[in-house]
Amino acid sequence: MKLDDAAFRLKEFWDEFRKERNGLVGLGILAAAILAVFLEPLIIPYPEASSRWRDITYWQDNSKSAPPAWTNLFTARKSAVARTLQDARIQDRGPGEKVYTYTYDYDYNRAPYDLLVRGEGSGNIPLTVTVRRPDGVSVEIVRYVLQDLAGQTFRLSFSNEGRSNALEFLRKTERPENAAQIATMSYGVAEILFSKAEPDFVKGPKPLTGRYEIEVTAGFTDPRASIEHMEIVVVGRVSGILGTDSMKRDIFSGVVAGMKWALMIGLLTSIVSVLVGVFYGITAAYFGGRVDSVMMLIFDYFISLPVLPILIVFSAVYKPSIWTIIAALILFFWVGPVKTVRSMALQIKEETYIEAAKALGAGHGRIIFRHMAPLLIPYSFASMALAVPGAIVYESSVSLLGLGDATIVSWGQILHDALGSGAVLSGLWWWVVPPGLLIAVMGMTFAFLGFAMDKILHPKLKTR
Amino acid sequence: MYKWYAIKRILKGVAMYALLMFTFSALFNTVSETTLKGQIEEQVRQESQRLKNLKSEQLRAFQIDRREQLYKLYKLDRPWSERVVSRAVNALTFKFGRSTIIKTQKGEREVIKIILEALPRSMLLFTTTIAFEIFFGIWLGLKKAQKPGGSLDKSTSFITMVVYGLPSWWLGMMLIMIFVYWVKLFPSGGLHSVPTPQGILKVLDLFWHMVLPILTLFLIGFWSLGFVVRNIVLGVLQEDYIMSARARGVPENKVLFGHTMRTAAPPLITMALLSLLASISGSIIFEGIFSWPGLGNLYWIAIQQNDIPVLLADLAITTGIYQAGLVFLDLTYGFLDPRIKIGGKA
Repeated sequence: MKLDDAAFRLKEFWDEFRKERNGLVGLGILAAAILAVFLEPLIIPYPEASSRWRDITYWQDNSKSAPPAWTNLFTARKSAVARTLQDARIQDRGPGEKVYTYTYDYDYNRAPYDLLVRGEGSGNIPLTVTVRRPDGVSVEIVRYVLQDLAGQTFRLSFSNEGRSNALEFLRKTERPENAAQIATMSYGVAEILFSKAEPDFVKGPKPLTGRYEIEVTAGFTDPRASIEHMEIVVVGRVSGILGTDSMKRDIFSGVVAGMKWALMIGLLTSIVSVLVGVFYGITAAYFGGRVDSVMMLIFDYFISLPVLPILIVFSAVYKPSIWTIIAALILFFWVGPVKTVRSMALQIKEETYIEAAKALGAGHGRIIFRHMAPLLIPYSFASMALAVPGAIVYESSVSLLGLGDATIVSWGQILHDALGSGAVLSGLWWWVVPPGLLIAVMGMTFAFLGFAMDKILHPKLKTR
Repeated sequence: MYKWYAIKRILKGVAMYALLMFTFSALFNTVSETTLKGQIEEQVRQESQRLKNLKSEQLRAFQIDRREQLYKLYKLDRPWSERVVSRAVNALTFKFGRSTIIKTQKGEREVIKIILEALPRSMLLFTTTIAFEIFFGIWLGLKKAQKPGGSLDKSTSFITMVVYGLPSWWLGMMLIMIFVYWVKLFPSGGLHSVPTPQGILKVLDLFWHMVLPILTLFLIGFWSLGFVVRNIVLGVLQEDYIMSARARGVPENKVLFGHTMRTAAPPLITMALLSLLASISGSIIFEGIFSWPGLGNLYWIAIQQNDIPVLLADLAITTGIYQAGLVFLDLTYGFLDPRIKIGGKA
């Protein structure tokens, strides 16, 4: 087949395809998904999500099981959103002392879980953290000396280091009869800082909204002392686009990182297996006779394998990598197009031009690859598209059982963690819905594409 | 003759099943032997604990002796090929040995009893679902084929595509979240409530537990079955004899149920059963979500407990059921298709 010819047929196909609205929607979603895969480092807030998904230290400063930030739109009591304050105003104060001032506009009803000072330091540095509240009161919350650092990351949590200071601050305004309750109450440091300092705090704090200034005073008398990348982490009650799971991981980063694996598993499996199946069917039909019988016997063997049970037991016993899983899927999937292709090839085989090619002395390979395959491969595009969702669902099913490749993030694995932590029965919908919905949307996308192509390639199914 | 066709097909099914058992036996040889050796060690240790009056040397000699005996008993001293064959034969005769951890409700450790305890529960769930799905699927497909391109056809075809890659287990998770966590309407899983009610209430309780699993499978399978039925029926409706029947003025319902169904029945039944067979193989995961204590859930437990004998036996039985399904499929097809029934070449 010449290139012009192929281009013409492609254009012809495209002209038909353009009329299929669902097919175009599918194409659009697929394009968006591929774009998301390539732009992954730019769109996810945690760029190393893919490689450090199971590294708890990478996620330790996040909130636990926090709903998405946009849920604030639907609730009467707004929750503090997780964020990082990075831009500091730096002032020199006296010899060897610097003040880093961070401003934080607090406009919520529910205080964050905690605040952290995080940065990389060297040498010995005395640190003081003071919070200047909108009501004019300053609270010195943390006083700490960083010792013998050599560029490591330090993390100072307000609730770990500043609880006694915060309680002290509260005692100044609280009624004496409530003093006993202060020590045992469940309100944390952040709640004290972001609430009005008034009597009866212990009975229910009221939020104090406005501009807060968090001042970190650092002493640099030690010649080695230096601080880099210092920032304040607000451990919010709601977080990011899709919230966090119970291991503090950002779910949005996880599902976007899982996208490339889903596409890879689906496309690689379907393309390879359908091509194998098409050539298998053509070969069987072309040679016929005993070759056909033996090839159909092998086909019968593969078609009687129950895919999922075998895949599960295989994964449980051998703990395969993702590549082995894909290879196993191909081993099951190639049978899909064989029957149809074989029956079509049986007809093509009898065409006169095949006979002519034979008479001209064309070899078996030439006839199969040059004369028969080009006619049949376009028909397999629909099967390719329709095989993709199956591959994705099988991998997810194996991962859901906790048998997936532990070096990657896949949607099934996120759902496995969700199921294992009881997310379903405790209503953590932001953990359960997105990965499954994406599996379903991927399935829908390829179904749209596949059915649209099927309609063009098999006009008999057209509606009258 | 149909009889010969049937016998041939059944024999082929049995042969295929045997071949599959050999494959599994070879594929999972190492792991099942490791488990078996572990079980033998355990047995030897228990037996030697009972023999308190032996000296340590005698004890060691006894252990070595006993181990060798057991190895011989389980043919572990034989060459690889023989071990694989004997294990495959065991699987074919349902001798699955003893589990390592899992027990039946009565506390038995024979793997076959564990499987037989789970099997009826799976059957109950899936026969009910199949009945629902086939009935409503065929009904929907006929309705769709009657007015192709109509609003019913278009909307349901659209739903078919939307749910095409929707994993049934995820839908199950969502339904649990909706109907168990938010609207407390159904139980989250299991077979019976605790404590189990007695008499007629026990049956009602069972039905109550079956609602969510059946609803999940139904919501997924119904559409695609309808779509398949529609395509087959539509293919037949375009035949000339249908047009001539319509031209003769045969009522539309008679055309649909008489003329069309007669021709469409064999591929219809095949497709319906095939899609259901696929859904059963996929429901392994699904049973685990609803903690429905059938064969599927057994996979979950066996994987969690790392109970290899149960896992492999479960695989053998599932494969057997799948094979039986395929054979049954061809038998029905042959029965419905007169070309096969009479003995001509299809």
